[in-house]
Amino acid sequence: MQLLKRRESMILFFIVALIIFFSIVTSGRFASYSNIIQILVNAVPIIISSIGMTMIIITAGIDVSAGSVVGLVGMTVSVLSLQGIWSPYDWIIGLLLGALLGFFNAILIWNLKIAPIIATLATMGIYRSLVFTVSGGRWAIGMPSLLLWIGSGTIFGIPFSIFLMVALIIYFIYFMARRVTGRNIYAIGNNIEAARTAGVPVGKTIFFIYTLAGMLYAISAFAILGRTGLAQSTMGTGFELEVIAAVVIGGTNILGGEGTIIGSLIGALLVAVIEDGIVLANIPPLLTDFVLGALILIAISIDVVIKRREIA
Amino acid sequence: MINSTNNVTINKDNSKKLDRKTNVISIIFLNRKFLLLLLFVIIYAFFAIFAHNFNTFQNIESIMIFSVEIGLLALGETLVITSGFGGIDLSVGSMVGLSAIIIGELIGKLGVNMWLAIIIGLLAGMGAGLFNGLMIVYAKIPPLLTTLATMYLYSSLALLISMDQYGNAMPISNFPSAYSIFGQLTILGIPLQFILFFVPITIILYLLVQKTIFGKHLLATGTDEIVAKLSGINVKNIRLWVYTISGLLAAIAALIETSRIASARPDLGSNMNLEAITISVLGGTYIFGGIADIIAVFIASVLVIVLDNGLFLIGVNTIWQTGALGFLLVGALILDLIIRKRSS
Repeated sequence: MQLLKRRESMILFFIVALIIFFSIVTSGRFASYSNIIQILVNAVPIIISSIGMTMIIITAGIDVSAGSVVGLVGMTVSVLSLQGIWSPYDWIIGLLLGALLGFFNAILIWNLKIAPIIATLATMGIYRSLVFTVSGGRWAIGMPSLLLWIGSGTIFGIPFSIFLMVALIIYFIYFMARRVTGRNIYAIGNNIEAARTAGVPVGKTIFFIYTLAGMLYAISAFAILGRTGLAQSTMGTGFELEVIAAVVIGGTNILGGEGTIIGSLIGALLVAVIEDGIVLANIPPLLTDFVLGALILIAISIDVVIKRREIA
Repeated sequence: MINSTNNVTINKDNSKKLDRKTNVISIIFLNRKFLLLLLFVIIYAFFAIFAHNFNTFQNIESIMIFSVEIGLLALGETLVITSGFGGIDLSVGSMVGLSAIIIGELIGKLGVNMWLAIIIGLLAGMGAGLFNGLMIVYAKIPPLLTTLATMYLYSSLALLISMDQYGNAMPISNFPSAYSIFGQLTILGIPLQFILFFVPITIILYLLVQKTIFGKHLLATGTDEIVAKLSGINVKNIRLWVYTISGLLAAIAALIETSRIASARPDLGSNMNLEAITISVLGGTYIFGGIADIIAVFIASVLVIVLDNGLFLIGVNTIWQTGALGFLLVGALILDLIIRKRSS
């Protein structure tokens, strides 16, 4: 019973059940090694971005500019690499650009006191327009394979992006549990006034998480670039909502104060398993969004029911 | 969370505003309607001078046509945000698509009577909105999540309804010619949907919010839910109504848009969600609830279309429309901040 109460283990059970279901329906193809790797690779961008989004939502914020940041970073590094700039420099520029865009969000939110949803809504539009400005409305294609390596390279036959994701997840789980800044994030989400009184550097922490989130979106952009091999002006549209969905399914409270990185990881995996399973099981892909939507409602409703029982 | 102190400052401002009624400047700047009108005049004058063909009869007509659909969504969004509890409706665009495809399927494929189909379409929009409300009020799921989920649900449902036997989503375009009255006719050069839908609905909602008990209860609910409950206001009912009205307005927008383009597509309105919220906030709707100015939202929707249209005519790529909207939003909020600091 204790185990059932934990959101993470509940969703994990659900994932296992789905894997078994899809494996039977597809007569084993679903559980094949290559397909499992494929699911993980597809989930990498959302998982990496969800780390930043989890922190933001724990502070009772939200960032709907994530998709536009992914698009702008992806397009900028592609265009730069096509002009002959060495890929490692492109990565650094991309990371810095992501950080800058996140920092700008933080200025609006912290210095100008604009509500996070409104501030990032505005920057979502602004950054998206910048994508078109950078691209001139054209696709970027034919980037050097070194640039794409983060998303397409392999080590010992396993995609590099999976190693990168695992490393980031492990570090940030440690970060949220043991580091002062990680604990401060929870403190701000629980009660911002109390946190301030207790000497938590609220402003600095807010700047830190939005900037960090921007860098993580940039890494997601590299992973997406490697997978698709091209950058379009629409790159990353709708991405922010998928990330938010994964975080929320993973048990992070949208009102702030609670949530875990591991939960978001599992939430993202659940979404990836369903998206992949629907394709393999020959269910019309039009249903994917329907299932995603239903899933969010079910996951949250269960949460609410459990909480009511605890109170009663 | 971060803005929790703003509520107090705003209330303070409001009381100050009354004290200084003689001060014309403070009236202009503290009242969102006047601020937006001022902006409108400036932007309009700018484009009238620099943009070719901007200040023409035809162009004004098209500005009116394009402001209706997004304006209706922004009005619905305004009511929802004002109801508090983190009120927001991300599903308005999907409800447009869903209602549109239901009306289209009924008329175009099943040959149902046009008026009956429209009524069913409007009811479908209301039903979708009511479902949002039920999930928010009774399952206590935060509005952002409920409407994020239903955004996916409704748009997927719209795609499913429009699916042909090969599994492809198909638009429907064989409407009877009578159907064109909702989006293609003009009276004395004024688009019918503007005077038949947009203006009356704005007036009705203005009266609803400012002059009725429902409106008073809505503002009270948004300002402080607990106080509202203790004063005997049925907070649940208010929220259910607000989300249902948002659905209805989305369905009306769907009716107008399908008529205007003579085609029903499941992805109609797919990127209108965030634009509607932006316009609403630009119109002075307080994101934490309790403060709404329906007339200002009306002005804001026209203002945004004027900006889009003018930028297009002076040769700025249409892609900058979303960016301009973002700058306008941030600009308005910064202006707000400066004015509030000055006056306190």
